[in-house]
Amino acid sequence: MKLENTKAQLRKGILELCILSILKEKEAYPSEIIDKLKEAKLIVVEGTLYPLLTRLKNGELLTYRWEESPSGPPRKYYSLTKMGTAFLEELSLTWDELNTAVTKITKNNSK
Amino acid sequence: MKKTVSVNIKGISFTIEEDAYELLQDYLDRLTVTLGNQNGSKEILEDIELRIAELFNIRLKESKTVIELIDVEEILANLGNPEDFVDMEDDDEDSEDKKIFEEAKKGSSEKRLFRDQDNAVIAGVCSGIANYFAMDVVIIRIIFFVIFFFAGFGVPLYIILWIAVPKAKNTIDRLRMRGRPITVENVRTEVENAADKIKTESRGIAKKFRDKDYKSKASRGARIFTSIIGVGLMLFGLLHLIIFLVVILGGFEMIPIQSEHGFISITELGELVLSNPADIQWTWIGGMMIVMSFILFFFLLGSILLFRLRSRWSKLSLLGLFIIGLVGFFMCLSVGMRTTRDIAMDGEIVDKVGKVHSTELIVLPQLESLTTDKTYRIKSNGQFGLMALEGDRIKEYGIQFEFVPSTDSLFHIDQSRSARAHSHARAIAKSENINHQVSLVGDSLLVDTEYSFPKKDKLRDQDILIVIQIPEGGRVKFKDQIVYLGDNYEEGNSDYSDYYESGYLRGDGTYRHREWHRNHHHRIENIEYEIDMMEDEIEETIEEIF
Repeated sequence: MKLENTKAQLRKGILELCILSILKEKEAYPSEIIDKLKEAKLIVVEGTLYPLLTRLKNGELLTYRWEESPSGPPRKYYSLTKMGTAFLEELSLTWDELNTAVTKITKNNSK
Repeated sequence: MKKTVSVNIKGISFTIEEDAYELLQDYLDRLTVTLGNQNGSKEILEDIELRIAELFNIRLKESKTVIELIDVEEILANLGNPEDFVDMEDDDEDSEDKKIFEEAKKGSSEKRLFRDQDNAVIAGVCSGIANYFAMDVVIIRIIFFVIFFFAGFGVPLYIILWIAVPKAKNTIDRLRMRGRPITVENVRTEVENAADKIKTESRGIAKKFRDKDYKSKASRGARIFTSIIGVGLMLFGLLHLIIFLVVILGGFEMIPIQSEHGFISITELGELVLSNPADIQWTWIGGMMIVMSFILFFFLLGSILLFRLRSRWSKLSLLGLFIIGLVGFFMCLSVGMRTTRDIAMDGEIVDKVGKVHSTELIVLPQLESLTTDKTYRIKSNGQFGLMALEGDRIKEYGIQFEFVPSTDSLFHIDQSRSARAHSHARAIAKSENINHQVSLVGDSLLVDTEYSFPKKDKLRDQDILIVIQIPEGGRVKFKDQIVYLGDNYEEGNSDYSDYYESGYLRGDGTYRHREWHRNHHHRIENIEYEIDMMEDEIEETIEEIF
């Protein structure tokens, strides 16, 4: 059992929630999302984001539009769909429940 | 100082150092492999390319114009190893995708034929084949060399493979070429090997000047080998050039058809065989194209090998020469096909010469002196015959004979004139043009040993056949031979009506009788008889059982 694997597994689930939350605030293009995730130290390997975004888009939770950038290549702005918003609400609820549960158990253990 | 290349990502052009580009390209290759066929893999790749472009753009703002190796290294380090982040994609809900993805990970080890330009002498066909069969490339080269010299199709074969077999463009192709499974590990080692190669190559250029022992024994051996082949090819070309010049300067008279009674040149034969003057021109031009491109091809191929000319120009020239040769070939082929069409149909005219009641028919050949200016010996109908040109007529010597049983007690003599053309009517018209004298005087048959036809009719298998019906017990007497129908005929069986024998009266009046031609009628009858016997036996057996 590798620690790295477990960490990655843990992050992966949370990452989806975070991406959806970022996009709920306002639409964003991948570099912006990466910056925010990096800021929060949630992501180490940038490449991780892209398969996830594509999968969420294919799952019709996200949609995107192209926009020309003043300098550099065109940008792909992602935003939540209706389904995505509903999905995020569900996920947030679950997260809250989990968070309480996990905190409770880990606290009990450390006593 | 470093070489740079220009890349275009989503409409934005970047100048990037060559080694940085290689690194980037291999990263993208690895990513492609790792993503496999999973849903949206193209999109992911596109997104990541966009990200790279964006990062390039940021770096270029800092007063620099070229993307360096270190930039790419940093960017790729941030992006992470494809196998690290794609592995996270594993998900139960995408079981279909996962299967495909797993398969790609396991590696499709399907082997494919590619040209290996990294180890090429000309276009990498041989080294590609060597990779495919996991053999030493030298063996393949020797095989090609041998089939080229002894069978002659090595060169076209090489060119066909050159055109048909794709070159190995990227890491995935190179793995397929060697039949190694496309796994992440293999891609990585291949990429590392390639990177090492680039390093040693760039170092090697500098080293070449410093260190004269740079060349290994193996590469020197290969160099000598290709040089020898190069010289051999040039000599081969030179030899054919000499032959060609001798033929040209000899006015095409160098190639005799048969020289016993004079010889016929290719141009003369062309005039006698080809239907129209344009065909002669076509054959000439086509033939020149074939010969010249053939000679130049070997010269060029030889010099490419000898002087290691590997530019695109020399390859294009080779291809051009090959195409010119091919065009020439098709020109000659079209003439050949037109001529073949002109001998497609045959026509025959049969005239009755006469009939006579006798026991012996005497054939008296009417000879003509063979002292015309241009008498040739040609082979026609499997017989060597003589041919002469007299004014606007072609004269041929030698008459066919055929002997069949007579239906009554008389000798019947028929003369058949035949020729070939594109249509039956035209063939009959050409037969009509044949002039041959044969007459019956008493019991003597006066036969000219030659016949003639207009030159404009061309050589179209014009032939004379004298058919003699021999009554029972009758014989035909030539000067040196007596012909009578054999034992089979003497049985008097009416089933032998199709039976015949044949012979040939030569231009000099001598006669040669041919083997008997048995009609298969007889054999069929035998088989029928045997079948009857078998049926009887079966009936008897059945009777015995009951």
